Amino acid sequence: MSDFEAFRTRAHDWLESVAGEFGKAARRGLSEADDLALGRRYLAARFDAGFAGINWPKELGGQGLSHIEKVIFDTEEMPYGMPTGYFGISLGMPVPILIRFAEDREWVKQRVIAALRGEELWCQLFSEPAGGSDLAGLRTRAEPDGNGWKLNGQKLWTSWAQYSDYGVIVARTDPTQPKHKGLTYFWVDMRAKGVEVRPIKLAGGDSHVNEVFFDDARLDDSQRMSPIGGGFGVAMTTLMIERYVATDSGGFGPHLDLFVDLVQGLEINERPALKDGRVRSAIARNHAMRAGLESITARAMQMLQAGMEPGPEGSLNKLVSVRSRQRLSELAIDLQGNLGFAFDEHAPVKDNWSTSWINAPTGRIAGGADEMLLNTIAEKILGLPQDHRPDKGVPFNQIPA
Amino acid sequence: MPFMSLLYDEGQQAIAIESRRVLDARTSKQRLLALLEQTGVYDIAFWDTAVEQGWTALAIPEAHGGLGLGLVELGLVAQAIGAATAGAPFLTPGYGVAYAIASSGNADLQARWLPRLAAGESLGAVGLAEGNAPLPTRPTVRFAGGKLTGVKGAVPGGVSADIALVWASRDGEPVLVLAELSGVARSPVDSFDNARLYADLTFSETPATLLAAGPDAKALALDLLARMSIVTAHEQVGGAEALMLLARDYALTRRAFGQPIGAFQSVKHRIAELYGLVEIARATCIHAAGVADQGQAQGAALSALVIAAADARLASTEAYDTCARDCIQVHGGIGVTWEAGIHLHMRRTRSLAIEQGNTLFWEDLLVEHLTGVAA
Repeated sequence: MSDFEAFRTRAHDWLESVAGEFGKAARRGLSEADDLALGRRYLAARFDAGFAGINWPKELGGQGLSHIEKVIFDTEEMPYGMPTGYFGISLGMPVPILIRFAEDREWVKQRVIAALRGEELWCQLFSEPAGGSDLAGLRTRAEPDGNGWKLNGQKLWTSWAQYSDYGVIVARTDPTQPKHKGLTYFWVDMRAKGVEVRPIKLAGGDSHVNEVFFDDARLDDSQRMSPIGGGFGVAMTTLMIERYVATDSGGFGPHLDLFVDLVQGLEINERPALKDGRVRSAIARNHAMRAGLESITARAMQMLQAGMEPGPEGSLNKLVSVRSRQRLSELAIDLQGNLGFAFDEHAPVKDNWSTSWINAPTGRIAGGADEMLLNTIAEKILGLPQDHRPDKGVPFNQIPA
Repeated sequence: MPFMSLLYDEGQQAIAIESRRVLDARTSKQRLLALLEQTGVYDIAFWDTAVEQGWTALAIPEAHGGLGLGLVELGLVAQAIGAATAGAPFLTPGYGVAYAIASSGNADLQARWLPRLAAGESLGAVGLAEGNAPLPTRPTVRFAGGKLTGVKGAVPGGVSADIALVWASRDGEPVLVLAELSGVARSPVDSFDNARLYADLTFSETPATLLAAGPDAKALALDLLARMSIVTAHEQVGGAEALMLLARDYALTRRAFGQPIGAFQSVKHRIAELYGLVEIARATCIHAAGVADQGQAQGAALSALVIAAADARLASTEAYDTCARDCIQVHGGIGVTWEAGIHLHMRRTRSLAIEQGNTLFWEDLLVEHLTGVAA
C-alpha cells in the first residue's frame, strides 16, 4: 500500500507543479494546432519527469512499474484536463502492440520513445464503412506485391489520423477464407505514397476522426506484425491490452458536483431548484449509480494490488456512465430554459453540459457500441448464446454483401 | 477516513457460501407460498435456522453474547436471505433494536436484552414510521412519565415481536424509547407479503425506557435507519441477483422460433442490463457496509454513512424492482403463475422498498446530506 500511496503523492505533486502550464486554464481558447503543440510539450515534460510509459519496459524507455501505478497516475492526471487526448489511442493500443509484436527492437525503442515524448503519433486503422462493430467484415485488401504487399481500400472513423506519422492496420489478405481467417496485421507509414487522409466533421463540430484511403500503397513484408491470416488474433489482443484502465463514473463528461453547482443558481416556480423533487431525484439517482461504479473500480484496484484478477463487472463502466451522462446533460441544458441555448463548440466536455450532450452519442458508439457491450456481458459473463450469424464459416467472398 | 477494504476476507466469504448453502437446502417454495395466504404467520423453520446458524448474534458485541461482527457479515447473510425470499422479518429489526440498545449506554437494558436478542429468544421490531413518513419530524406517538401512548401503523414483525424500538415525542422533542410489547394491542395487517408480519401497534400508557432524546435521538435514529437500510439493501441485492440468474437460466432452456430465447437480443440485452443493475447495487452495498463498520457515526461521519446507505438503498431498490419486472417478462405466461413463485420476489420487492424508508425519502435525504439543502 504505502509504495502505491507514495507514488500517488509524487504524481500528484508533479501534476500540481505543471498544471498552470498545461492544464485546463492554459488550454482555454487555443486553436487545435496550438493545443496539439502544447500537448507535445506536455508529453515531453511528462517523459522527463519519469511519468511516461509507466508500466512499459525500462529498456524501451518506460518506467518498468506495474499496471497499478499506471492506473494511479492516469486517475490523478484526469481532473487536470491536460492536453493528452491526441495521444490516447497512440499510446493506448498501437504502440503497446508494437512493443509486443514488432521484431526490430532498436527501431521499436526509437518509436516508443518518440511516441512517449509526443514527437510521433500512431493511429489505429480498424473500422471501415462496411465494418465497425463487425470488425472481421472489413474489406481493405493487401495483395502480394514483389517482396511486400500492395494495400487498397478505405478505413473510417480513424482518430487523429490527420496528425499521425504511423498507423497499425488490419487488411484482408485472403478473401477465399472465412472472414476471421483471411486477415493480416501490418504497420503503415501514414506519409507514404498512396495514403490519403480526409478529416470528417462530427455533429459536435470537431474533426478528430478521419477517412483514410489506400490506393496501391506499398508495404514491405517487414511491416507485417502477424502471421499471414493471423491478423484477427493480434487485433483482439489490441482490444484486450488494458482491461483495467482509469475510468470516469461521469462518462467522461462533467462531474455531478458541476450539476449541483448549476442547480444552485437556478429557481423553479420561484423556489430554489434544489428544492424541486425532480431535480433532487436526478441528483440522487446519478449519485447512487456513480457511487456504484466508483466502488467497482476501487475494488478492482484493491484486487490488482492483492494479486487477484478483478471481476468482470468492470466492463460496465463505459456502458452505464456514458448513457447517464447523456441524460444528465440533457436535463442540465433544459433546466436553464432559454439560457440553455447558448453554445460554444470548443468548450471542454468535462466542464460544459452542451458540449457534453452533443458529443455523448459518440461515446456510446466509439470503442464498443452499447449493443456490443451488452452482447459481451450476455455472452461472456452470463453464458447466453451468441447471436445468429449467417456469415459464420462462409468464405468471405461468398457472403452476400 | 482510514483505509477501507472492499474485498471480502476468507471468513466473510465462508459466511456468504454457508448461509446460501443452508438456505438452499432448507427453503421450501411451497411453505413460502402457503404463508402468503395466512396473516400473521411466519416461517418458523427459517427462523430456527437463523438462530441455529448464529445470524441473530452476528452483529451484537461479544460482551453481550454476540459474535461481534459487523454489517459486512450481516449483509452477506441478508443477501442469502434475499435470494431465498425467507419467510420471517426479524433479522434486520432485531439488529436495529440491538444496535440502539448497545448505543444507548444503558447497562441494565444491555444486560437484559442483548443476550436474548443474540440467542434469538427475543424478537425485536422497530417502529419509526408513521403514516407515509419513514421518520416523521413530529411523531404523534407520545412519551410522557415513562409511558408510551399512540399508534404505530404496520410495523414489520409487529405481530410477534417481544420488544420494539419506538420513535415518539416528549414535550415537543423526538425521543427513542424501548417498550415491551406484552401488554400492547396488536392488529395484524393483511398484506401482499404476509410473512413480514405487519401489525398496527396501539400503545396505551405502555411502560417504556428512554434511550435518547432531542438531537441525540435524531442522530441515533438516522444512524440506525441507515444501518438497517444497508442490511435491507443487501437483501434486495440477493433477491435481484437470484432473479437475474433465474431469467438467465430460463432463457437458456426455453426455446422458441427454433432457438433458445436467450439468443434473441431483446431478451439477452434485457438480462445483461439486469446484470449491470445488480453489480452496481452490490458495489454500493459493499461500500456502505464498510463505511458502517467504521463505528458509530456522528457529524461528518454520520453524513458519510447516510450518503452511502442512501446510494445502496436507491441502487438496490432499482435493481430488485427491475429484476422482478423483467424476470417475469422473460418467463412469459409461466412467470405469472402462483406455482412458479416468482411473485414471492415481486411481493418482496415492494415490502423491502418501503421498509426502512422508501426511495423518495432516501433521495431527499441523500441530496440534503450532499448539498446541505433539505427538501
